[in-house]
Amino acid sequence: MTKLDTKALDKVIARYEGKPGRLLSILEDAQKLDEHQYLSTSALEYVSEKTGIPLSRIYSVVTFYAFFSLKPRGDHSITVCRGTACHTRGSKKMLDYLKQILDLKEDESSGQQSKVFLTTKDNQFTLMTVACFGQCALAPVVEIDGTIYSNVTERKLKGLIDNIRRKGKNKK
Amino acid sequence: MADKLFQVKIDGKNYEIAAGTSILKACQDIGIAIPTLCYLEGVSEAAACSLCLVEIKGVKPLMRACVTKVRDGMEVNTFSARVNKARKVNMELLLAGHPKDCFVCDRNQDCELRRMAFEMGIREVRFPKVTTLETEVDISSPSIIRDPNKCILCRRCVSVCSAIQAVHAIDAVGRGKQTKISTYGDKGLGHVACINCGQCLLVCPTGALTEQTKVSDIWRALTDPKKIVMVETAPAVRAAIGEEFGLEPGTLATGKMVAALRRLGFNKVFDTQFSADLTILEEGHELIERIKNKGVLPLITSCSPGWIKFAEHFYPGILKNLSTCKSPQQMFGAIAKTYYAEKMKVDPRDIVVVSIMPCVAKKFEADRPEMDSAFHYWKDTLKLKPEDHFKDVDFVLTTREAGRMVREAGIDFVHLPDEDFDAPLGVSTGAAVIFGATGGVMEAALRTAYEVLTGNPLPKIDFESVRGLKGIKTAEVDINGMKVKIAVAHSLGHARVLLDEIKEGRSPYAFIEIMTCPGGCIGGGGQPLPTNTVVRQKRIDAIYREDKNKQLRKSHENPAVLALYNEFLGKPLGEKSHHLLHTTYVKR
Repeated sequence: MTKLDTKALDKVIARYEGKPGRLLSILEDAQKLDEHQYLSTSALEYVSEKTGIPLSRIYSVVTFYAFFSLKPRGDHSITVCRGTACHTRGSKKMLDYLKQILDLKEDESSGQQSKVFLTTKDNQFTLMTVACFGQCALAPVVEIDGTIYSNVTERKLKGLIDNIRRKGKNKK
Repeated sequence: MADKLFQVKIDGKNYEIAAGTSILKACQDIGIAIPTLCYLEGVSEAAACSLCLVEIKGVKPLMRACVTKVRDGMEVNTFSARVNKARKVNMELLLAGHPKDCFVCDRNQDCELRRMAFEMGIREVRFPKVTTLETEVDISSPSIIRDPNKCILCRRCVSVCSAIQAVHAIDAVGRGKQTKISTYGDKGLGHVACINCGQCLLVCPTGALTEQTKVSDIWRALTDPKKIVMVETAPAVRAAIGEEFGLEPGTLATGKMVAALRRLGFNKVFDTQFSADLTILEEGHELIERIKNKGVLPLITSCSPGWIKFAEHFYPGILKNLSTCKSPQQMFGAIAKTYYAEKMKVDPRDIVVVSIMPCVAKKFEADRPEMDSAFHYWKDTLKLKPEDHFKDVDFVLTTREAGRMVREAGIDFVHLPDEDFDAPLGVSTGAAVIFGATGGVMEAALRTAYEVLTGNPLPKIDFESVRGLKGIKTAEVDINGMKVKIAVAHSLGHARVLLDEIKEGRSPYAFIEIMTCPGGCIGGGGQPLPTNTVVRQKRIDAIYREDKNKQLRKSHENPAVLALYNEFLGKPLGEKSHHLLHTTYVKR
């Protein structure tokens, strides 16, 4: 657990002072601030306390958008698009393949069956899904650390993963 | 804007309707019933259930009547084959995911979903249940049970919790078919800043929100020959319990209620109004003390347990303003197991105190760890061990649960003769009756404070300025030339206005009454369904009728309370009062 950087959070909150819909922007920046790219309970509670926005509302917003994560992410994020176009072009197979090569098993207890959020034991990779990236013409697409890769195949994915692994654990 | 009238044609007839009116409201006003399960006037406009679809000439899709405002020249068709089909499909979709165990559902007789489906002519549900959701029932709260399986996501509970109560304990969580109503972090109502008011429960159209019940434990106590089971009834219960048996809202059922409780097997039928009078003596003197000794003002009433928890969560800085008086429910328990036990020479461990309340927060209050004054009172005399521990109030029933027990016992409530409460803990004045309505505690306190401070009888006993359903009521009372400013708020959204004034150091008041629920206790979360503005007003009228009918209408004239001071307590705010009748609060 990393310590909450309240000074940085204060700055974020001040930046959007008085702006309509500020909660989304604050949460977005707060997530970026975190070393593990997620919103910790202490971050949520701090934002609520400082802005006066009820915790129930914040939780509602955070759970609505796939973009927000309530669990720490690994050093590298992999997001598989599970939209209709990607699905017809084999995204389920890509997802299963990634689970296999990263040695990830579905968490049965999570209850949110349609949402995938799995992190490798060594904390190097987090595998997620998204409803649609809007890049349907390039289906199937997979996003790795912010870059969208189009027309992916198992071979292409293996190459990308191996590349990251070769570069070492701590470099992004 | 409000005065501007639009020409609107509804179902072929011409009407003049004020601009800004929704189609749904306009139709309700002219006697056209449009089905809805989410819209509640003044509370919720979530547009979630999609049952209120209507056709508008020149508009292609069907529109939701609840959120579509009338326009000049608009032509609305509220019922056609197309409308009927679409509404039915939407209803069937709501029912597809809903459990079909209506037989054993608490809301069997007053489920809006069940009734509306029937009225819409639904006789089959063509769609299968698609289970995707966690289905764990939230039983973490001592007051409220939340069953997400029965939830149709109408969001009325969310609206009432945020817009009326300003508590924000719940909201929609997740998205799409994963959506559910939940608390922050899915912690459960018992683990977040929920104040247990149960207003959510009153607006829920299904059985998704119900009270925690211990009815079976009470049946067991009633059949245990060793136990002396006594019941205390809150003022607001007598003005509403008749509704449980089909009587008109506003029917006073005091005598029948007493008769029914006696037939259920309670050994003593007592009245929370006795301890309401006692509360006034303690709280009235507390007010006088604080005014005389320049103590913390404004003093705020402490009868309403939802409000207390609200203050503990959201306004910890003003806890010193709260009266230290326990609520009448808790004063009753403490007195029953000390004074009355001594008087009757019975072991307090054999006494079971059951209260009937218009409230679900009272269940939480009775469970508060500090509410065991009688145990501490007897600890040394009876050499009590920790395992002997008992609470001042053992069980709390809502008005609804009391109705359920009476029905279960096969008692014909409507045809019962009127009976009187037992003495001495069943003796009360009109000042205690009005505790049930917003402004009542204030008025009762003023009746006593005025006479104690001036030594003269009140010229006019009714303080009309603090009565009624206005959100915040203020007045100035002249007591021997001293001007005392007072304020009354009901529902916590309104209370926040007065509390923020205190927080910012600009509150002009000496005394404030705060009630958690709209209308006061008569509109509490434990009251019969439906509880709406019309019903609330009728119950309030009944409360003031009862007050008028009472021979004694001032708490300090209650002979049983005076005897209690003579024989046991000594004087208001005395040593014994301090231990038994006063309490402390915690920051949460």
